[in-house]
Amino acid sequence: MTETKDILISAKNLKKEFSNGEVCQTIFENLTLDIYKGDFTVIMGASGAGKSTLMYSLSGMDRPTEGQIIFSDEEITKYNDDELAIFRRKNCGFVFQQIYLLERMTLMDNVITAGVLCEKNKKIVMHRAKELFELVNIPEITQKKFSSQVSGGEAQRAGIVRAVINNPEVVFADEPTGALNSNNSEAVLNVFTKLHNEGQSIILVTHDKKTALRGNRIIYIKDGQIFGDCSMGNYIEEDKDREKKLDDFLTEMGW
Amino acid sequence: MNKIKSQVSYNLKKDKKSYISFGIVVLITAIMLNLALVLVFQVDNAYDKKLEKMNTASINVCIPKSQNTNVLMSDIEALEDVSEVECREAVFLEAVVNDFRGTDFSMNTMFYNMDEFRDINKLEIKEESVQMTEQSIYLPLYVASFGEFGLEDEIVYEVLDKKHTFIVSGVLEEMQYGNYGKGLMGAYLPENVYNEFAREYEENVVIEYSIIAGDGTDIKDLYNEIVKLLDEQGITMLTSCDKESTKDTRTMVCNLLILVLLVFALVILLVSVFLCKFRISISIEEDMINMGVLKALGYTGNMIIGSMVLPYIMITVVAALFGVIASYGILPILSEVLTLQAGFSFDLLFDIKALICVEIILVLIVVVFTYTGAKRIKKLQPINAIRGNGEVKKFKIFVNAKQNVLLFSVSFVLTILVAFASTLFYNVIVKPNNFISTLSEEMPDIILYPDEKYKDYIINDLQNFSSIQNVLEYTVGVVNIDDEPITVFACEDFSKVSNDLCYLGENPKEKNQIALGSSFEGKYKLGDQIEIYNGDTSFSYEITGFVQSVNYQGKVCEFSVDGYEELSTETVAPSLYLYLVDSSDAESVIKKLEANYGDKIKSQVNYQKMTETTKEMYSGLASIIVVVIFVLTILIVLFVLYIVVKTLLVQQKQELGIYKAIGYSNWQLIFKMVGGFIPSSVLAVLISSVLGLLYVPEINQFIFQTVGAMKNNMEVSFVFLMIFALIQIVVNFIISISLTMPIKKISAYALIKED
Repeated sequence: MTETKDILISAKNLKKEFSNGEVCQTIFENLTLDIYKGDFTVIMGASGAGKSTLMYSLSGMDRPTEGQIIFSDEEITKYNDDELAIFRRKNCGFVFQQIYLLERMTLMDNVITAGVLCEKNKKIVMHRAKELFELVNIPEITQKKFSSQVSGGEAQRAGIVRAVINNPEVVFADEPTGALNSNNSEAVLNVFTKLHNEGQSIILVTHDKKTALRGNRIIYIKDGQIFGDCSMGNYIEEDKDREKKLDDFLTEMGW
Repeated sequence: MNKIKSQVSYNLKKDKKSYISFGIVVLITAIMLNLALVLVFQVDNAYDKKLEKMNTASINVCIPKSQNTNVLMSDIEALEDVSEVECREAVFLEAVVNDFRGTDFSMNTMFYNMDEFRDINKLEIKEESVQMTEQSIYLPLYVASFGEFGLEDEIVYEVLDKKHTFIVSGVLEEMQYGNYGKGLMGAYLPENVYNEFAREYEENVVIEYSIIAGDGTDIKDLYNEIVKLLDEQGITMLTSCDKESTKDTRTMVCNLLILVLLVFALVILLVSVFLCKFRISISIEEDMINMGVLKALGYTGNMIIGSMVLPYIMITVVAALFGVIASYGILPILSEVLTLQAGFSFDLLFDIKALICVEIILVLIVVVFTYTGAKRIKKLQPINAIRGNGEVKKFKIFVNAKQNVLLFSVSFVLTILVAFASTLFYNVIVKPNNFISTLSEEMPDIILYPDEKYKDYIINDLQNFSSIQNVLEYTVGVVNIDDEPITVFACEDFSKVSNDLCYLGENPKEKNQIALGSSFEGKYKLGDQIEIYNGDTSFSYEITGFVQSVNYQGKVCEFSVDGYEELSTETVAPSLYLYLVDSSDAESVIKKLEANYGDKIKSQVNYQKMTETTKEMYSGLASIIVVVIFVLTILIVLFVLYIVVKTLLVQQKQELGIYKAIGYSNWQLIFKMVGGFIPSSVLAVLISSVLGLLYVPEINQFIFQTVGAMKNNMEVSFVFLMIFALIQIVVNFIISISLTMPIKKISAYALIKED
């Protein structure tokens, strides 16, 4: 199925090293990977496997030590910091485990802070933000609250609104449910599924099976390499075989 | 701009109190800077406008009336560089004004007929009483305001042994003499009063030629032409003054004030720059994750830097504006003080040029320093900022070190001010002679003018006075050097003077030796021979040294008594300088002298009283400066410590909560926090105070040289430096403790829990 899709991101021979004084640690090497448009790609792997590092390299948030990343025909590994920033504002949305909404700003202001980067007219940004808040079930009264005054789930859903306010090509999510209870996690994942169903490309890093079930493609990282790549099909809530398919894949990967 | 607006307002709200502290420091800087700039831009202009309005002469020369000729006027007019000449009669006397600001003040005075028409050197009447009397006098603004004479007050001029009592009928402004610094003052009498006065002092009647130079003429060249002309006609020049040197004298205090204000502004500016750089570093640390998030959202490094720098610029613009406005509340007081000293009135008006300069200077400096502090943000990788690894850790180490560097730097710089203030305090209040002697010439307790026939007898007889420690024959006169009248100090033995003016080489001992004033230093060197003229007499002298004189702008020279006698000096009355044993009262000694010698002495001056008045005047000024420096220091320390303590409270909140939870008392925590930053401040204060022994003399040298005191007698007292350092440390400590006290009110849980 995936082979017929358009390639959104193409990573070639990626290498990432972390150097801490005299100690040099290689996270991955010679890693090659394609991400397709419209996919909900989930990256899994053991702790320290380099899944987040890979995701942040693909998004231009971090620079690989070696290799090439081509994003919609543009080689972003050649970009300088400012070019990368402009690239991110137009093409990427980010959702973090710790949410990282800006303190002392309301949920709405947090979204507008991102929105005004691509749309000068603040009214248009606000209008779109309201639509998105509605999509993620955050009422108007909550939109005016500060991040410290809302639940983790509400904050994370606001984080998703912030991520998609500029209609990015792809949403990158790093353990988006990691700090949430099960009810809030479910609500957040439903938003991701809704977005994916509307054609949004998503790359999500997780080690939670429930979360991974939402993806239509699972990539497993081990020893700095793509150890497995599993096509899951689009998420359907009633699909009982889906969980088994994922379990089998993960067992095969040594999970 | 639109893109970072929300970030700018976010930053402003987040750090409100720190921005307010920073704003107050900028406000103080702006006040100082604007005061200095308004003075720079306006005083000079106001002075020049007044010169023009009064049609002030470029040069005034006085000759004895007996030597005046019918053709002299036309001869002067015929000089190429002369555009206008006017001559008038006056009485030129050395007079003592009684009760001048509580003392007797000796000054050369030119008494004029004020009803005579004046086209040049016009007078502007500031106030006058309705009734005129037969003793009416109009005083120049300086004599009236500085000497504390009001309308209808009595003023007594003592000429030799005779007292002339006048009634002040008016106060007027003139630009010819101005203040005491010129050593010559005017006094203006109604025609009938003048005529009577002139009849009494017929021998002292002079003719004054007031000359206006043509456009582009060098006043010095014109002066030389006039001297040559008078010389050719065998006419003696009694005294002269030109508008340029008069201006220098009258604006001396103003220039000194500008310098002090600029130095203060610079020091406070340095502190504010340290502050904003520090706050930026702290903000980077506190907001590291937010910055990472912003970068992730697509904000560029420059946009984030802009959102950090802009609030400082906005605060600077607003605070500077308020500072400028506030400075106009101080300007009238300043203008009053300067008017008193400069002897001309001027209104300091709102100055848009000064405002623009203050804004530009402050904003530029703040932009440069905040940008250099914030530019590291560019290098931050968003993922590292969010995860708090790699270079982020370096940032934290950097910020912790920076906090102590900030306190060290600020304390060090402020201690320079405090050390300067303590030295000023020591030399003006504790040892006032050090300060006064730097700005004055010889300071005896009594000046005695004996009848020349009895001079030697009196010198011998004075040995019998137990209250008199020393008697010196010391005469002040005038000679011509390079065609310019120069004040002479002739003394029998300069090794016995109380205030050695010589700053280079030696005082003259032999009759063929001379020491020249500092204004000649560039032209002559030690060992040179110089020909000195006094009328028709001349004599060659070897230059043995250079001497200073603030009052005469270095236009002085020193002779031995024998040396001075080589130039015909019959016209100069000899004087004896009397130095009393400690704690003797000059007033009672003068009474004894009058009783003992009667007509054998012409007059005497209570110089001790004059010195006391001067000391009182300066001690008041010095006390104000010391208090201002101390208040400023405390204010700045308060703001800086506030920012440091607030930062520490944020940084160490959880750690403090844990300590509190395991049983540490509030006081233990307060001392733990204070102990983290106060040592760097204490160390800076101590090091700076000790180094004060080196740099304070340099600062004093710099300041005093600007007013012509090449050698200053200011002493730096190590004990005083240490006392002031100790006070500063105690104040820092008290402020630190007070600022840290809020820890007491926060529960352990509130400290530990995340916001």
